[in-house]
Amino acid sequence: MGIVEIKGLTKDYEGVRAVDNLSLEIEKGEIFALLGPNGAGKTTTIKSMLGLIFPTAGEIKINGFDVLKEGKKAKENIGYLPERVAFYDNLTAIQTMEFYAELRGADRKECIELLMDVGLDGEMDKKVGNYSKGMMQRLGLAQAMIGNPSLLILDEPTGGLDPRGSWQIRQKIKELNENGTTIFLSSHILSEVQEVSSRVAILNHGKLIEVDTLDNLGKKLDLQPTLVIELQRPSQSILSRVKQVKGVDSAELSGNVIKVRCNPRVKTNIINAIEDEGGKILDFRTVEPSLEEVFLKFTEDD
Amino acid sequence: MDGRAIYAISKKEFMDNWRNKWIIAVSAIFLLLTLVISYFGSMGAGGVGWRDIDATIVGMITLVTLLVPIIGLMLGYATIVGEKEKGSLELMLSYPVERIEILTGKLFGLGAVMAAATFIGFGVAGIIIALNVKGVQWGNYMVFVLASILLGFVFISIAMLFSAIFKKRSAAMGGAVFLWFLFEMIWNVVIAGVLTAQYGIEKLTDPNFMAPSWYYVASLINPVKAYSALVSLSISSVNELAGNIPSFVNVPFSLAILLSWMAGTFALTWYIFNKKDL
Repeated sequence: MGIVEIKGLTKDYEGVRAVDNLSLEIEKGEIFALLGPNGAGKTTTIKSMLGLIFPTAGEIKINGFDVLKEGKKAKENIGYLPERVAFYDNLTAIQTMEFYAELRGADRKECIELLMDVGLDGEMDKKVGNYSKGMMQRLGLAQAMIGNPSLLILDEPTGGLDPRGSWQIRQKIKELNENGTTIFLSSHILSEVQEVSSRVAILNHGKLIEVDTLDNLGKKLDLQPTLVIELQRPSQSILSRVKQVKGVDSAELSGNVIKVRCNPRVKTNIINAIEDEGGKILDFRTVEPSLEEVFLKFTEDD
Repeated sequence: MDGRAIYAISKKEFMDNWRNKWIIAVSAIFLLLTLVISYFGSMGAGGVGWRDIDATIVGMITLVTLLVPIIGLMLGYATIVGEKEKGSLELMLSYPVERIEILTGKLFGLGAVMAAATFIGFGVAGIIIALNVKGVQWGNYMVFVLASILLGFVFISIAMLFSAIFKKRSAAMGGAVFLWFLFEMIWNVVIAGVLTAQYGIEKLTDPNFMAPSWYYVASLINPVKAYSALVSLSISSVNELAGNIPSFVNVPFSLAILLSWMAGTFALTWYIFNKKDL
């Protein structure tokens, strides 16, 4: 039995089908990512899991409890970080945490610990109304962890954060998962999901396109990033040398730029190869395959 | 239903709203107006001076019927739609709470803010009056204060219904303003209009004219009027002034009307909120 079981979930909003016959099962201990562009039905799925909206059809069980019929029991062990975090302006951070601890029936003592854990040590007695966006996101994460829930549902957890902030969140997700928490997260950015998740479901226009482990998806999709390397004096000899590097699928030269499709792990080898051949690198960046490319790939297969 | 969740939500509502400066302002306004009415209320009858509690209450009734509904509506109109617009409502409901517990907690918490402002404002005023007049009828004053709080609860509950129905905070606010005008003015004007159409102006101005029962019922269904009747009829000295009114216009009926408004709108709010996608 999975910790989350979604069967035939369908939701219509005023005639528009937001989620179409979605079935998913999430196992204990996974980091499961729901991936799709904006409007794919990710938030609708998450809201259905929490009993916030009423599905047109289908049923959802969490820890074996039906979310609508036994909502209290189903939600006892869920922590949730919404896409848009919002609290009560006149309460301080610690009062906010204590409110949620009371709702969960958790020990109020852990509130201070959790606030320190997310780096809000010095800001606990400030009114949340004066918080910055980044601080709100931290407080959001802290409240989701109250009572050490067995399932964390994170809706676009790194949305709107700077690279450092989103790195911290990803570290936190990994850490929580190592301590036994099952994580269900949604994202529209493939690379963010790639780094943390064990299994990925791809959703588009409310329909489940594919659900598999990342490795399998990678094989099916050829999800390799492209390295874009700008050189001072590119040459055919550099290009052919790059092509010889193990793990490189293809490489092409256009103008001053070499584009290499390869396994991301061989980046350093490629750089070394270029420098061995006497090339001088001016600029270097990695372009992840976009979700749109992924969807295109799947529709081609159909 | 679970007392723990209701208590947590009530407390949150109280803390979040109590810190609004205007609530403190409301207490101060109650205090000042009570003192002004008590001291200057008899100016027309020659000279100023402290009047006893009963006379003060009579002077306060109209004021309370204007102010308390505004406060109740202001406290309640945004409590659901505002939290939904912000996003905090979905977070609260992701916790193991039922929707009925959220509504109950909100009603109690907002009602407590209202009650605290009323108690402080009228309480301090009552003590000041008591220091200046002899033989204070504390029982009557208590009835007046409690009835005013009940009126506040009624309007919070009505405002919560609007807050559950409307999709936008601004629309709920418009609805609240309309309700205030409805109960303070439109209601009376409409039934007075119907009465005039039925009997004609001349008959109405006849001092011996007795309005029909439906007029009293229609008038009393208005919670603002039910409150006035409840307070006036509960206080004996005022009761004697009541004159020729039908016997069903009494304390239990007025109280029942106020409680029905509160329970009825609350039940309707629950019915609507329970089916709502958040």
